[in-house]
Amino acid sequence: MQVATLSWSPEDGLAMAAGASQADLVLYFGARGVLAEGRCHRVLRAAFPGAVVVGCSTGGQSLGLEVEEDGVVGAALRFAATRVRLATEDSIARDGSHACGRRLGAMLAAPDLGAVLLLSDGLHVNGSALAAGITEGLGPNVPVSGGLAGDGSAFAATFVGAGDDAPAERRVAAIGLYGSSLRFGHGSAGGWRRFGPERRITRAEGSVLHELDGAPALDLYERYLGEEAQGLPGSALLFPLRIWNPARPDHELVRTVLGVDHATRSMTFAGDMPVGWRAQLMRGGVDGLVSGAAEAARAAARGCGGGAGDGLALMVSCIGRRLLMGQRTAEEIEAVAAQLPPGQPILGFYSYGELSPHASGGQCELHNQTMTITLLREAA
Amino acid sequence: MRDVEAKMERLFARQLALASRPDGHLDIAALARMVRSSYEEAERDRLRTDRAMDLMAAELEGANAELERLLRNLSIQNLRFEAALANMPHGLAMLDAEERIVVVNARLGELLGLPDGVIVPDAKLEDLVAAASARGFCPGQGAQEATRDMRRSLLSGGAAEIERMAGGRTLLLSSRRMEGSGCVLLVQDITERRAQQARIAHLAQHDALTGLPNRAHFLARIDQALARAQRGEGFALFCLDLDRFKQVNDTLGHPIGDLLLKEVTARLRTTLRDTDMVARLGGDEFAIIQDLARQPPDTAALAQRIVEVVSAPYLINGHRIVVGTSIGIALAPADGAAADTLLKAADLALYRAKADGRGIWRFFEPAMDARMQERRSLEIALRDALEQESFTLLYQPLLEVGSLRVSGFEALLRWRQPDGTLTLPASFIPLAEETGLIVQIGEWVLRQACRTALSWPEQMSVAVNVSAVQFRHARFVEQVREALSGSGLAPYRLELEVTETIMLQDSAVVIAQLNRLRALGVRIAMDDFGTGYSSLSYLRSFPFDTIKIDRSFVRDLDARGDARAIVSAIVGLGESLGMRTTAEGVETEAELAGLRRVGCSDAQGFLFSHPIPPEDVPGFLATSAKTFPAAAAE
Repeated sequence: MQVATLSWSPEDGLAMAAGASQADLVLYFGARGVLAEGRCHRVLRAAFPGAVVVGCSTGGQSLGLEVEEDGVVGAALRFAATRVRLATEDSIARDGSHACGRRLGAMLAAPDLGAVLLLSDGLHVNGSALAAGITEGLGPNVPVSGGLAGDGSAFAATFVGAGDDAPAERRVAAIGLYGSSLRFGHGSAGGWRRFGPERRITRAEGSVLHELDGAPALDLYERYLGEEAQGLPGSALLFPLRIWNPARPDHELVRTVLGVDHATRSMTFAGDMPVGWRAQLMRGGVDGLVSGAAEAARAAARGCGGGAGDGLALMVSCIGRRLLMGQRTAEEIEAVAAQLPPGQPILGFYSYGELSPHASGGQCELHNQTMTITLLREAA
Repeated sequence: MRDVEAKMERLFARQLALASRPDGHLDIAALARMVRSSYEEAERDRLRTDRAMDLMAAELEGANAELERLLRNLSIQNLRFEAALANMPHGLAMLDAEERIVVVNARLGELLGLPDGVIVPDAKLEDLVAAASARGFCPGQGAQEATRDMRRSLLSGGAAEIERMAGGRTLLLSSRRMEGSGCVLLVQDITERRAQQARIAHLAQHDALTGLPNRAHFLARIDQALARAQRGEGFALFCLDLDRFKQVNDTLGHPIGDLLLKEVTARLRTTLRDTDMVARLGGDEFAIIQDLARQPPDTAALAQRIVEVVSAPYLINGHRIVVGTSIGIALAPADGAAADTLLKAADLALYRAKADGRGIWRFFEPAMDARMQERRSLEIALRDALEQESFTLLYQPLLEVGSLRVSGFEALLRWRQPDGTLTLPASFIPLAEETGLIVQIGEWVLRQACRTALSWPEQMSVAVNVSAVQFRHARFVEQVREALSGSGLAPYRLELEVTETIMLQDSAVVIAQLNRLRALGVRIAMDDFGTGYSSLSYLRSFPFDTIKIDRSFVRDLDARGDARAIVSAIVGLGESLGMRTTAEGVETEAELAGLRRVGCSDAQGFLFSHPIPPEDVPGFLATSAKTFPAAAAE
């Protein structure tokens, strides 16, 4: 497997290593404004005629250690033996997320399917339903990782470009990687600390949370955010919500806020908020989040093992982490890099939701406020 | 701290690197922006943290206050719960999944007979059962066995109930699984309830007065005996009732009647063997099952003994009472394979015994049943006849012996059969009397006769026979009044013929009834005089208008001197008491001549006319005016 990193900007155009155009798969991430007008996607399609080209808008993207907000970064992958197949679904709706995931899974399912990378619209989807749907379509043994596209801290529109189709809203792209030589490692961790009392979800519908302990959820967030409440829904990311089923206290999930409704005092999260589940606010410090990132990278490295040629580390980290860490965001990428072989290319973006198998083992789930690392490599 | 320094140094180094231009110059303004921004980020984070800590503290305080409030409530609730536990009538224990007693009330110990302190916290079920077992719980079972039994019957399912004995008391133990794990065990003393149920069951099966099994219980016992009879162990079924018991009740009152029944019961009990059974079926009816299985006893001898024992005089509250008994006996399985068939057979035999003269016993014979069936169908036919108006009246003229003028007619009842033949009253009146149908039939006769007589010449009367049963009936006087007013017939034209039998009853009542009738203005004749008791006191006790001389004397008038003497005496008696005398069954001119000689006032019989239908009366009257005056002139 060979990996060539690349970058693109409206001013400077495409920059990449020579000879990379033979790639089988090109992944790219960029600012929503830059991707929306579609030029970048066309340029990459032209530059890599034989490749499946897939990318999405972000809340910041990184190639190497620095996070940037304006341009586009990417990587071109050429596999020795692994085959690549793309499946897409357009016009996804929150209610149809599960069915959409199941259709994508069914499109890609095959005996030699090794793993699936998933990039999805970040605002119009119920991420947990999408994850459950695709797992249902694929069967339980195929690892799925990826993330939900971002839009900085604006939460206005997110874009996914895939194959022949230039970036658009409400799109989900799933990339199937086939063959026995593929090595796929993944890890996901948060590093947030729980704080304050445990609460109970007393009223919710799907991913819309109305009440915690019988009081409007938005009241709680506004109280804790103080002046920063003006930055809602983005500022709600400073206090992620940890939720868990009381019958399975070890299997906790962290949920990110995607939107708020001041009229109904409700908040929309990236995934389901089941009534009866427990919830607890979380808060982060740079050090904790950095340790979380390192833990995710360690797990991914453990799961992937060694291999021949280059590998790619795909990093999907939550926008909330970046909001909190500010200029110190680079520290979590440094921590990830420290766990990987020297010189390992790291391509990633800040997302509205991360997708990866749950750390306690099992199927693909939607995570929030985590650092999720996926390592791709081919066996010798 | 060194770690923090290192981090800050790396941050500053990164800021420096970002602020450095490719030519190596440092962009001071950019660096300043970044550094300021870093401060701002740190300050915002500090403020955020402070605020979060304050809010969290407040929330925790609130939560703590709420928790304390809940604790207080819980403790109040706990007190109430304990009060409820202490005051409930049931014993209660809650067991956890390991059968440890986690909650228990004092009542449980009381019910199991355990002294205080035996049930300690965390005691296990087996400890409890062992202690209770030592004090009489589940007698006959060892402690281990009792524990196993409790586990199996109470703790294995969701909810269960068992009854166990404890020191002579009956305890009901019930269990219900608790949500989560463990179960609630309730113990209640149901000794009284069970005793009450037993009393009720006994009452339902026994007669309260005598304590004997009642009819329902007796029928069940017959069924059991019949089941044994299938295996060849036959039995005799006795039905008996007391003769003249009603009179005892009527004259001495029900309390004495009740005491008599108890005394009869006692005598019957001493007369029977243990293997026999006596029951009271109701009123003065008793029934006995005589077991014929073991030694073949003499059924007839038992019947005889019962008759003797029951008939012996009783002395109750100073009254000397004599009643008798009649007995009907059916043999099983020969006389019936079902309880009701057998009982019916014994009843039929009883009926026969009473008909044959009381104070005796009769075995059932199939012919009794046939006769009964016949009676049943006759009764049904009688009812139909009333409804369909199949009865009719014929009229036989009465003539004055002297003038041979027709003075009236006697109405005679006939039952018209579907084939047109007419049935005489002798074949159906006894049954009509027995069933009470005579009251309705008699009423019809009265109305019909009065209506018909109205069309006759004014001086002619109509005579109607009255049955003793009809005469006794409470509405009889009313019926007569209605027949008269309904037809418009003058009362003096109606003559009611009563027989001597009515005079055999309570004479004061009969005389009162006769006087009420007389008050209506009707005439009253003593029918069939000379055939029965013919007590002269009857004639003295009531001023009858007419004495009717039975045909048997008239028949022998010619041949036998004694008959002539009797007729002559009756006529003389009538004359002296101011009563007319009517001779019945006059068939020959010689008889008529004899009657004329003794001075009898009226006569009727075939000599003059057979009974005729009402439409023939005018014709008869027309011809008789021509025919008989000749005879009169003789």
